Formats: sequence, C-alpha cells, structure tokens
Amino acid sequence: DPALLQLWYRFSYSLSVGAACRFVALKQRRLLVSGTMSSFSSEERTAPFTLEYRVFLKNENGQYIAPFHDIPIYADKDVFHMVVEVPRWSNEKMETGELHYVANLFPYKGYIWNYGAIPQTWEDPGHNDKHTGCCDNDPIDVCEIGSKVCSRGEIIRVKVLGISAMIDEGETDWKVIAINVDDPDAANCNDINDVKWLKPGYPEATVDWFKRYKVPDGKPENQFAFNAEFKVKDFAVDIIKSTHDYWRALVTKKTDGKGISCMNTTVSESPFQCDPDAARAIVDALPPPSENTGANWNRFSYD
Amino acid sequence: MRALLPLLRTGAPAVAAVRLLPGASAGPGPRRAMALYRTEERGQPHSPDYRLFFKDVAGHYISPFHDIPLKVDSQEENGIPTKRARNDDYENLFNMIVEVPRWTNAKMEIATEEPLNPIKQDVKNGKLRYVANIFPHKGYIWNYGALPQTWEDPHRKDESTDCCGDNDPIDVCEIGSKVLSRGDVVHVKILGILALIDQGETDWKLIAINVNDPEASKFHDIDDVRKYKPGYLEATLNWFRFYKIPEGKPENQFAFNGEFKNKAFALEVIKSTHACWKSLLMKKCDGGPINCTNVQICDSPFHCSQEEARSLVESVSFSLDKGSKEEDQVWHFLDK
Repeated sequence: DPALLQLWYRFSYSLSVGAACRFVALKQRRLLVSGTMSSFSSEERTAPFTLEYRVFLKNENGQYIAPFHDIPIYADKDVFHMVVEVPRWSNEKMETGELHYVANLFPYKGYIWNYGAIPQTWEDPGHNDKHTGCCDNDPIDVCEIGSKVCSRGEIIRVKVLGISAMIDEGETDWKVIAINVDDPDAANCNDINDVKWLKPGYPEATVDWFKRYKVPDGKPENQFAFNAEFKVKDFAVDIIKSTHDYWRALVTKKTDGKGISCMNTTVSESPFQCDPDAARAIVDALPPPSENTGANWNRFSYD
Repeated sequence: MRALLPLLRTGAPAVAAVRLLPGASAGPGPRRAMALYRTEERGQPHSPDYRLFFKDVAGHYISPFHDIPLKVDSQEENGIPTKRARNDDYENLFNMIVEVPRWTNAKMEIATEEPLNPIKQDVKNGKLRYVANIFPHKGYIWNYGALPQTWEDPHRKDESTDCCGDNDPIDVCEIGSKVLSRGDVVHVKILGILALIDQGETDWKLIAINVNDPEASKFHDIDDVRKYKPGYLEATLNWFRFYKIPEGKPENQFAFNGEFKNKAFALEVIKSTHACWKSLLMKKCDGGPINCTNVQICDSPFHCSQEEARSLVESVSFSLDKGSKEEDQVWHFLDK
C-alpha cells in the first residue's frame, strides 16, 4: 500500500544516510541501550547517500519499531534516551524524505556535536509556545557534547544540561544541550554553567552555528529567544516534559498530527499502534540494495 | 593498467597487498595536466609499516622529495612546449605533494630517511601519531604537504628566526575548497608564509592555493586570503600555536610576531630552501640520515638507476596486518 509506505518513510526519515560505512546488504548491528535492560538493533536498507537509504530499528525480539514513538523517553530517573541522527563532524542529514548537506561553516566542520532527538516528544505546531511562539512539528532536538563521535542511529543515554530557544524560519526550535552519561566528563557536568568552564567556547559556538548554518543556502540568519542565552537544566527538563505531553496527545489522536506518522508498535493506548508483522511487511517491500557513492561535500563557507 | 604490468611480470606475492592509486593529477579545470605521477600503497593504512610510494607516468619508482620538480615548467605543459605565459601567476607555479588531506588527523609525512622517500605515518613513543582536534577545528584545517626539492637545513641558522631548520622539505598549507588526497601532486600558487618556530626549530609554513581551485584567479597575494577567506589566517596561526598542547608540549612561537609575510618574501624563502636541497643532493653539505637516493638528478652522487630503485622498493617489507584507527575523537578545549 503506497500510503502506508509513505508513512514509514516519514517517521524513519531522520535515520537515513550512512556516512562512513560502506554499503553491505542488510547489515545488522546490535546497539545496546545499557541500563534499561532493553536492546535495540539497527538494520540498514539500500545504499547510503541515496534517498532510499533507511536505518530501521528493531527491538530485542527482532521486531521493527518506530524510533520516535517506541523508544521510551526516559532511560532512567533524570536520564533521557537520545536517537543520534547526525554524528559529530558529518554533514548529511535526512529531513522529511530529502537528503540535506549542511555547509561547513568556517571554522566548523559539519555538525559540531552529535545531533539528534529525544524520542516520545513533539514540538506541536498548533501550539503557541508561551515563550517563543509557534513550534516546529518535530521531536525535540538535542546537541550531545561528549567526546565520543556516535554512530548514526545509535541510541544513547544522556543527562540534560540546558536548552536554548532558536527561532528557525519563524518556528520555535528548542535545542537541548546534553551529555552522554558514559562520557568521562559526565560526572562533572550537571548544568549549563559546567559546560562553560569545562568546554569554553562551546556554548557560544553552538549559538553561532545555529545562527548562521543556513546562510550558505541563501537563507537569513536565525534568531534566538532570551537574547540567545542558555536556560538551565530545570527549565530544559520542563520543556522536554511538555513536548512529551504533546507527543502523547498526538499518538492518542487527541491532536491532529497533520501528516506526522504515528504508526508504532508499543504504545498501547494509541490508535496508531500496529501489528509487528504488518511493520515487517512494509520494510520488506522496500527496494532492493544498490551501490552508490557518496557526495563529496567539502567546501568551507565563509558567509 | 600499464602500471600494473611490472608487478604482474615479477609475480611478486606482494601484489595482493599492493594497491595502485591513479591520483596525483593537477585536478579538474581549464589547466588540466595529465596525471604525471602515480602512487602505490604498501602495507595497511593506519599501521606503522604503511608506505605510499611514488611513480612516474611510465611506472618507474621516483622519490617525491628529490625527483618531482619544485617549479612547474609553464613552458612545457604536458610535455608540449607552449607560449611563454605572460601572467606572473603562471610563472610561479610550484608542485606540492599532499601529505595530509584537510580535516583528517593522521600525521603523514615524506619519509626523508628512507630510500625513495615514501609517505608514511609518523610514529612517536612507539605509537602512530594523530594530530589533536583543537576546538573549534577538526584535524588539519588545510590540505597539508610539502614542496619537493626543498630542505630546511638543520645546520644553518635562519636569519629571520634565529633558529636552525627542521631537517625537512618546506611545508605548505593549501587553502583551496577541494579536500585533496594523500599522495596528490598539485600545482599551487604561493600567497604568503608564516615563520613558525616549532620546538626551537625553524619551520616555515607556506600559504598556497591549488591553481585549479574555482576561486584561484582571485588569489594573488596574502591580502587576498584576508579578503576572501576572513579568519583563515588567524585560525592558521592559532592552530600552529596550540596544536601540540594536548601532547603536553608548550605553545609554539613565531618570528615577526606571528605576522604572515607576503608572496615575494615567501618566494625568497623557497629559493633558499631549494638551494640548501641542491647542496644536499650534490653532497656539498652533511645531510646526516637524510636519504638522497634519486632517479632524475643525474649529476647527484646519490643518483641510481630505475632498476636499482625498483629493487629498493621491493626490498621494503610490510605485513598484511590490518591497521587500527585509534584516532582521537576528543575535542580539546584550551583556555585562551
């Protein structure tokens, strides 16, 4: 059913496009989400660097899951799950079915953190955020500032440290700052001020990056609320909680998602929950593997 | 294909481990030169016995240090005599050997003490060397390499820096937009120079641009870098100042207060390092452990035949053990 296929493409969009990995047919990797006793594995389909490339996630029973609906928001008390969409220093991001390359904004190379999202959250565009106005219709974004370069599709556990309120093309686009709980510095990193002394320049660079990253594409600089300041951890956690509430309303059909796929396999109160076998059938219907070579995205932009 | 034949003929068991790379061309663009040089890998990348040897277009081994000409002969593009270029830019084109592609970390360099001077990865304290990521940078921030037929003499005190040379060919930072490949030989325009004093040794850093860069025609001198790539020179200075701090070394110093000197000054420095190299090849000065074996400089006492060069390369042993990429992912935040 082409409509169902379309829905699958929508919610797996952000896990697409391999960067460094060479293509092999149906490569499977086990991704351990330690601490929760659950394990997720990922499965790549078709060639990297193509629009058809997808990384599907499976649970410990080998059943396909929807990453942004079926992975729990919390890994532990005060610890969130994060789905890594863009490894630090890479350029490729899949957005609503289209492959995007972010420019290398001098002096930066690609994304300057491991970038991704917290599952089971949603920035509701129908909701006027009391702080900033309209919302961006996506799960809430996270910039993970640890030393390790994570892999695309990896699910990690993070401590939230703070948040900034970017206004991207007129929509609120919260950016959570977090650190991988396994990072050697994690114990010393508990709030946004810790980032300032542990990694001087990183918060400023983050604001600078988000302000200018679309300028090479001919778009204007982005704005920020709160004079581009980072708000503290407690504020960040409140925002995340409210986006979790919006998500719950979405998957229980209390809010009209208008095109967001809510298909999932684990949210039992959701009218969008589907049978794992139906999910498998959809993935199996995808085009077969093919070779492809990556684009050579290598300019510095000085805009 | 022709380059493969010598290997097939000898039936060397090393064939399985040897990869031929077609690279080493001047890149796309209106002044395309045919690939004059090829490279041949031996050993596995990211291993201590990895070597990248150079060959000429006929497949004969050469030394990138000694056998590739310093200057590109504008009168003989592709071996065919051409009209003398009036444009000063094209009278001052130099060959550059790319050792480290932009944004990578492996410290690759021309092995000055080995016969035919292949590119290898630097080893320190028994470990393969990777340059640190100094925030906000990732790896090297230009394509990095060397000019052939140059040498910074360790027995000569440089007037500008009051330090002796670092015993290596002169280094180049190529600032064009294309990420080049290790072993590429590209034609560059010289734009300026920085007088780094790295751990007490003179270590000039040329600033240059690939002549085939889409913006190359805008760049004539060091001020054009300030104009069209604002912040790049400052970033370069900071990079060289701090890049060894994660290894526990102190900040580096500079002559001229870290000021970038212009093209004319740079050309003079190149001339002088070229003269030092000539003395080295003619055995007029003590090169110490520097290996001067070459196949092109017929007057040099270190000249050897193509057959001798082949035996030298084939006697180099290497293992088929896969290297391990233990590159440092850490981003170092230094208090400024």
